[in-house]
Amino acid sequence: MPNSLGYCGPDDRGTILRHLQESKGGEDLVSTLQGFEAAYPFLKLIARETGRKAFDYSVPEAYWIGNSLLDVVKVPEFYRFSHTDLRGKDPAQVRRVFRAVGDGARPHHTFYVMSTFAAPTVKDGQNLLTESSKKVAELVDNCRISWGKVRKVGKDKLAVEYRPVRIEDAKLDLAQPVIRKVGYDRLVRPFGKVREGDFVSIHWGYACDVLSPRQVGNIERYTRADIRSANEMLRKKKQ
Amino acid sequence: MRVGRVVSESRKKGKVEFFDGRSLERVDLGAVDAKVGNFVEVFGDMALGVLTPAEAKKRRTAWEEVQKAALLVEA
Repeated sequence: MPNSLGYCGPDDRGTILRHLQESKGGEDLVSTLQGFEAAYPFLKLIARETGRKAFDYSVPEAYWIGNSLLDVVKVPEFYRFSHTDLRGKDPAQVRRVFRAVGDGARPHHTFYVMSTFAAPTVKDGQNLLTESSKKVAELVDNCRISWGKVRKVGKDKLAVEYRPVRIEDAKLDLAQPVIRKVGYDRLVRPFGKVREGDFVSIHWGYACDVLSPRQVGNIERYTRADIRSANEMLRKKKQ
Repeated sequence: MRVGRVVSESRKKGKVEFFDGRSLERVDLGAVDAKVGNFVEVFGDMALGVLTPAEAKKRRTAWEEVQKAALLVEA
């Protein structure tokens, strides 16, 4: 179920699930989605910079999966947005991120997650360079949008082959493929016909969507770019 | 990431009350030196660090502003 763990936004997951199952939208859904502290401001940024509306399909697709809209958003505008629109962000950390990655900064969810945890988010806090780095990397892997190939379809679980993000010698990378069981909802439209060989996106152990070949290409391309940027941050942080 | 207050702690596991007032959640406090009453920043089920009351207040205000804005749209 979307946001079933409550990590990402308002405790109104039933509304989102109902709309997904019924394949419709509405004002209550829009209101719920606007309560997501990080995701909604990012959608507004991408929409504003590309002349679209925040809930046009291509906008959330860009933020969550990745598409060419990300390349349209100018880095100085993303920098300004990170200071003014992301509530509670430490300005010094924002400056460090942009100084370290330059043109590699993109309003992509995976970039946001990796860049956030490449440095402490509170004084002396845990991150990808501290003794808890492996556990933080596991959380980053769950929080980013990953993708995998369906190997087996169960009643409410899919066995998916995917490459987890791991940290080794202070560098992030995609590890060798592993099989992981993830939840899914057969009542949500794309999953009624899901079958072995399909690619799905995954968030916190849950399959979100069935991906097209174009989307698989995009999510891999932008994820790899995000990993390169995060590694640049980690390298500079270590020096 | 979420911020909440530790309401109980035992063997490096704690129960944390988050700003949205949902039921208490169990959080791994193993990586931080958090005591009952402290505000902690939580990623998934892991506390990453302890916030000062001033930092926690700032984060709470930011969170409340987002929720208020969303409610205004609904109205």
